[in-house]
Amino acid sequence: MGGKTIVITSGKGGVGKTTATANIGTALASIDKRVCLIDADIGLRNLDVVLGLENRIVYDVVDVVEKNCRLEQALIRDKRFSNLFLLPAAQTRDKTAVTPYQMQELINVLKEEMDFILVDSPAGIEQGFKNAIAGADQAVIVTTPEVSAVRDADRIIGLLESEGIKDPELIINRIRIDMVDRGDMMGIQDMIEILAIALLGIVPEDENIVISTNKGEPIALQKKSRAGQAFNNLARRIIGEEVDFMKLKKDTLMKKIKKIVGLS
Amino acid sequence: MNAAFSFQVTSKGVIVTLNPELEFKLLKNALIKHVNEANSFFAGVDIYLNTNGRTMRYQDLKELMEIISEYKDAGEIFFLSEREKRDDIIKQSRDSVLIKRTVRSGQKIKYPTNIFIIGDVNPGAEVIAGGDVVVLGSLRGVVHAGATGSQDAEVIALKLNPVQLRIANIITRPPDESSSKNLARLERAYIKNSRIIVEEINI
Repeated sequence: MGGKTIVITSGKGGVGKTTATANIGTALASIDKRVCLIDADIGLRNLDVVLGLENRIVYDVVDVVEKNCRLEQALIRDKRFSNLFLLPAAQTRDKTAVTPYQMQELINVLKEEMDFILVDSPAGIEQGFKNAIAGADQAVIVTTPEVSAVRDADRIIGLLESEGIKDPELIINRIRIDMVDRGDMMGIQDMIEILAIALLGIVPEDENIVISTNKGEPIALQKKSRAGQAFNNLARRIIGEEVDFMKLKKDTLMKKIKKIVGLS
Repeated sequence: MNAAFSFQVTSKGVIVTLNPELEFKLLKNALIKHVNEANSFFAGVDIYLNTNGRTMRYQDLKELMEIISEYKDAGEIFFLSEREKRDDIIKQSRDSVLIKRTVRSGQKIKYPTNIFIIGDVNPGAEVIAGGDVVVLGSLRGVVHAGATGSQDAEVIALKLNPVQLRIANIITRPPDESSSKNLARLERAYIKNSRIIVEEINI
């Protein structure tokens, strides 16, 4: 037996797959799980940048499958957690450099060592996506509250079903509750109704994500930030803990006072 | 309706019934057009040509049979002339296909029979039936009932909210400013006077 492999995918680009992978990975590592992140976006690698590990890459996933190096040589240890590893994508090749079968083999080897393997899928439904889902036991779909992103998520769920990956779970990213309240953004219920899958977590829009991504420091390290909290909650749900969904509305001043004096 | 021919979907196959009054040349052209448009819709389906009491020259009949045999990948072609025999085939209840899941974006459900779906049909999905379409759930995709030309086909859904709704050769879409319906209410779409009518079914 070994670890669990989870593919993080979305169909549409730019919804936060890489950010989610980096942060869930970091959060899982912070609760003492051995985690390996695989960047399956060959040719457009980003995960290393988000984690701030770009300058440590010597070998990548293509080198491993082409046997230019051993798997252990390509794994990069995170600078914050010694139990978090990254297998980076190649930047100078494309998606055809790896086959689904090779991915599966690679994951089978990693499973022996790790508790969790998170695969960051590229956007789209072509070869890159097929590689990313090849060895997955489970899938997490990332979507934003946009009609186009939800549409693509729906397509992806259908494709996963036909590949035999059942019951994917949903992350709703970048939600702005003030806009939902005004009726300018799709609500959580609307999305769940269309996609008809279980909700794994909700990540509120947070400008700190841009800052942390650019710095190469996952926001999950800042446990006080709302997005960081959301990712830590997500990780705890993944390991089977029951964590309440975050309250998206901030309490009004009046309510806060009432709480303090014990009225509500 | 002065159509050149009509289609009926039965459990045995599709019956193509010719209009006995129409001029042969028009009939032939309409049929050729349909064969070209149908593509592989009749794949694996037996086709019954029913001349409907029309008197025809041997040469004409042969031509029609040849046209029909051009339906891509169709099953066997039969010739049907007796009225009783035709009724006999129709009397058999139409087959239905049961789909018990959410039909998602990019998925296409296509059968020459009726289609019954327990689950939702999401935007980006297509449901194409030779007969009726019944959805016990939200219908938000593209739906085509009576795709073989049967004008009496219907679409019934718990939440009828399709991107586009087609019955036989008539296409309609909801008005652009339509508010999204949130309450489930059984609705039925059918053709009346060459227009698609949507009405609530009161239970």
